[in-house]
Amino acid sequence: MKDLIAYIAKALVDKPEEVAVSEIQGEQTSVIELKVAKEDLGKVIGKQGRTARAMRTILSAASTKIKKRSVLEIIE
Amino acid sequence: MQTFEFEGKTTEEAIENARLKLNIPKEEMDFEIIEPGSAGIFGLVGGRNAMIKVTTREEEPDFFEEGNGLAIAKEVLENILSLIPMEGTTVNAKQEDGVITLNIKGDESGILIGRKGRTLDALQFIVNKVVNKSLERRAQVVVDSENYRQRRNDSLIQMALRMGDRAKKIRKPVATNILNPHDRRIVHLALRDDEKLDTRSRGEGIFKKVLIVPKR
Repeated sequence: MKDLIAYIAKALVDKPEEVAVSEIQGEQTSVIELKVAKEDLGKVIGKQGRTARAMRTILSAASTKIKKRSVLEIIE
Repeated sequence: MQTFEFEGKTTEEAIENARLKLNIPKEEMDFEIIEPGSAGIFGLVGGRNAMIKVTTREEEPDFFEEGNGLAIAKEVLENILSLIPMEGTTVNAKQEDGVITLNIKGDESGILIGRKGRTLDALQFIVNKVVNKSLERRAQVVVDSENYRQRRNDSLIQMALRMGDRAKKIRKPVATNILNPHDRRIVHLALRDDEKLDTRSRGEGIFKKVLIVPKR
């Protein structure tokens, strides 16, 4: 899950070297925390949160596949 | 890494075609012969072209002038799918009139399509973003699976016509569910030629619907 979000985020931003993703695993739900360079924040969120929403949709499809739940948090 | 297929009268010719198109020397190519090709009887009847599958090792150079966006789009989608992870899915890519279409084939495409195509739309949105970030000229990327886009359009048109009939019958406006811009466009176009109906979009931001209004 972590790698999936890291890949997408790195492909979207201008400073891929500053992308950091961590995963806090719970029994049912895991939380994926995404950190990017300040200038890139808009790129991973998108107009009216569209990019963030698309990432969450893909993440939830991936989680469904392994019968888990994942939440994406973008850290400012 | 990417794979391409090439044809030629003989295997040598197919390799030569691959070399010219991909612009890489023969030594750097990994290829696999799919169909060795045969000349047929007296070189006339039953001749078959040779087919090879080439895998490039290096990061893609600028081949297929037009198809550069195509190569990026295909690679990005394949990488995302492999990280989901979806096993046994393949992506077919083609470019027509500037529109890049990526078609996903696999056993579990249901997961990838999602409810009302949500996952497919999300993948499409991300791939579009990434492709257009690295291109000067904007390209449009469509991500499809199991002909979902066509099926969805057909069912939207059916729905539009049905709601149009209802609006005429009850002589009151009828509203669709919340639809994205693409889907709203399909509804508008489906009822465009109906002189007894008017269509307009209603709502804010992502919550827009189409209102089908009978004309007096």
